[in-house]
Amino acid sequence: MYHKLEVKNLSAWFNEKQVLKDVSISFPSNNVTAIIGPSGCGKTTFIRCLNRMHELVPGARVQGKVLLDGRDVYRDMDAMEVRRKVGMVFQKPNPFPNMSIFENVVAGLKLLGVRDKKVLSERVESKLKEVGLWEEVKDDLRKSGAMLSGGQQQRLCIARALAVDPEVLLMDEPTSSLDPASTAKIESLIRELKEKTTIVIITHNVQQAARISDFTGFLYLGSLVEFGETKKIFESPKNPLTERYVTGRFG
Amino acid sequence: MDSRKAKELLVRAVTTFVSLSVAIPLLWIVADVVIKGLPAINFEFFTSLPAPFGETGGGVANAVLGTLVINAMSSLIGIPLGVLTGIYQSEYSGEKRIYSLIRTSIDSLAGVPSIILGLFAFTIIVMRVGHYTALAAAFALALIMIPPVSKATEEGMRSVPIEIREAAIALGLPKWVITLKVVFSIAKGSVITGSLLSFARISGETAPLLFTSLFSYYWPAGINEPMASLQVLIYNYAMSGFGEWVTKAWGASLLLLLIVLMINTLVRAVSKNKGGY
Amino acid sequence: MGQKIPSFLDSAVKYGALAASISVVGIFFFLFLTLFSNSIPSITLNGIDLLLGRVWNPNGGAFGGLPAILGTLFSSLFSLGLALPLSMSISIYYTEYAPTRIRSIISTVMDLLAAIPSVIYGIWGLWTISPLLKTNVEEPIAATIGFIPIFSGPAYGLSIFLASLVLTIMITPIISSLSIEIFSRTPMHLREGMFALGATRWEVCRKVVIPFAKRGVIAAAILGLGRALGETMAVTMVIGNSYIWPFSSVSIFSPAHTITSKVASEFPESVSNAIQFSSLTELALVLLVISLSINLGADLLLKRVKGGG
Repeated sequence: MYHKLEVKNLSAWFNEKQVLKDVSISFPSNNVTAIIGPSGCGKTTFIRCLNRMHELVPGARVQGKVLLDGRDVYRDMDAMEVRRKVGMVFQKPNPFPNMSIFENVVAGLKLLGVRDKKVLSERVESKLKEVGLWEEVKDDLRKSGAMLSGGQQQRLCIARALAVDPEVLLMDEPTSSLDPASTAKIESLIRELKEKTTIVIITHNVQQAARISDFTGFLYLGSLVEFGETKKIFESPKNPLTERYVTGRFG
Repeated sequence: MDSRKAKELLVRAVTTFVSLSVAIPLLWIVADVVIKGLPAINFEFFTSLPAPFGETGGGVANAVLGTLVINAMSSLIGIPLGVLTGIYQSEYSGEKRIYSLIRTSIDSLAGVPSIILGLFAFTIIVMRVGHYTALAAAFALALIMIPPVSKATEEGMRSVPIEIREAAIALGLPKWVITLKVVFSIAKGSVITGSLLSFARISGETAPLLFTSLFSYYWPAGINEPMASLQVLIYNYAMSGFGEWVTKAWGASLLLLLIVLMINTLVRAVSKNKGGY
Repeated sequence: MGQKIPSFLDSAVKYGALAASISVVGIFFFLFLTLFSNSIPSITLNGIDLLLGRVWNPNGGAFGGLPAILGTLFSSLFSLGLALPLSMSISIYYTEYAPTRIRSIISTVMDLLAAIPSVIYGIWGLWTISPLLKTNVEEPIAATIGFIPIFSGPAYGLSIFLASLVLTIMITPIISSLSIEIFSRTPMHLREGMFALGATRWEVCRKVVIPFAKRGVIAAAILGLGRALGETMAVTMVIGNSYIWPFSSVSIFSPAHTITSKVASEFPESVSNAIQFSSLTELALVLLVISLSINLGADLLLKRVKGGG
């Protein structure tokens, strides 16, 4: 089993407060790994360390290793390159309001210097089709993304993240602000995407984790309590804490 | 990737350089005022009246006193008017059109160049009275104080949480008590800050004084007479070209700068402690 | 408990506050009225000559204010043209690159610069900068590219160029402080969205922050412009107070007038000359109208930004 992304002894701080304690997880390629845990357990901080977003906050500190294809994301690569290769979708959909749908999708490509209109148009079409948004917006590509519904906006953001062909896609509670129908669409999209990308998804909804992930890691108070195949985590967890969490007895 | 990094470095370098350079004028002005003003400072400087043109010696005592007297008079007019207006806007002006009218008038007043306020005061007071008078200066400067004091009062009072007002109403307190003794006293900090900053601001205002209190080489004779002030002294002396006077102008500048910067720093330090304004 | 009959004190406070507000409104309109009525002699006697005439000669009855009006416009726009890129640089540095401690230093420096009385800018401009500028900047420029009319010598020392530079230093803090506030309001989630695509800080600034802040920055610029238009003391002390610019010499190294310097410097002698006084008043009225329009414009823009964003 090849591990696209490996995290070794990751610890993180906000100023003096330690939020992650010595977490080690290996993410198998082309699989969906879910990170679950109660609010405040450090899940969001964790994935933000994977694409070096955590360091954008003043007073943030990181220790440990994050390896992408064996390369140390902090020491061997620069932040821009990491973020291009490790894409992110946020909890609250955040299409750029000053840009059209078209411009939103190609925002990352333009940063890379892609100017050819034909190439850009093809990309827009293929990515929007991939996220199942093409039919809904194909006639309104030049309009602002603000007109779309929450679910559509989120799919637009996913298309935007996919446009630069990331090797890993991080998703921070991508459906928590969406209605059930949109959630279902995105969940099935995730199942399709894993063929091409490695996906790490944070969710506070344990049923969602059970539905869509292949592997699951349970974080509690900044530490990794248990990690394994989703089936095993849910049916026969080793740690009593895990068992209590997945059966809904706390958090 | 390389040209992007190059652009990033360039932008970072240029903006850093520009930002750090802004400190230069500040340091330069302060240094200049201190270096050129200190030679003028001595006991005589603080206690004597100005010497006639062409003679050495003398001081700026009347100008210091004049600035304080004028500022005090302006504050007596400007602060109450500003506060009352702020209270009205925050607590009483229900109808949107009235609120907008008052708000626009105050904002517009704030946008009037101070020289025009001086001209206004000259026209309606000095011309009526027939001679230059410090009262007209107080009027003009009060007009400068009203907008910031009003805004500070209004914003301070509006930021009082609605729960406190509701608790006061539930206790059966009459409106005037709620307004003055509850809401206003909570907003007091903001009002004091705004007033102090306005006081510092008018200490630096010179143009209106040219039309109203003008200048005097003697002790303030009365509030309805021309009066010396540090600001006008600096202007007159600096423009005179007479070395002795220019030095005194620097000395007066040092004094004025100290007063203004001290008030500003004090206000900022205090309001940062209280959680900003 | 039912409606209470308003007590005397309730009414006293309410109507006291109302009276204060009404008097402030009244004073403002009275200001306009007074200036306007005092301008009438000039309006009738001078007509359009006040705005377009080039000669100002109280003894001869000529009151042409064009050089002063042009002086006001040129110095304000010139200083805005310099101050705006400076302020943008400072705002970009502050929000994208500056460590926290440096941020508070920048804030403090801006606040202090804005607090310095204009008469002190004036004495510094007059006695420190003017001689330095003349020998180290103006004369060398006139010597090298002085064949271009606006850079031609002689360099008098007191000039519209110097006035514009001093104005630049005076309005940059105002524009910067406001711009910084506006830049800082860019929602974090939009900036993060762009970072997550692999953008550099400048790219995030250029593609997300600046478009978001555009309207507010324009409002800040207009506010700074308004301040420059009305500035009196610093300008009067360094501009040379003369009608040489722009019609006798178009060089920016010549002495000039602005509306404010004209009114401030000529006011003392005008008290005995009614038509001169009225003409100066009319000039002041022109300035007032320009300033107010500009300030109201900025206010409207800012309100839309703060409300909607």
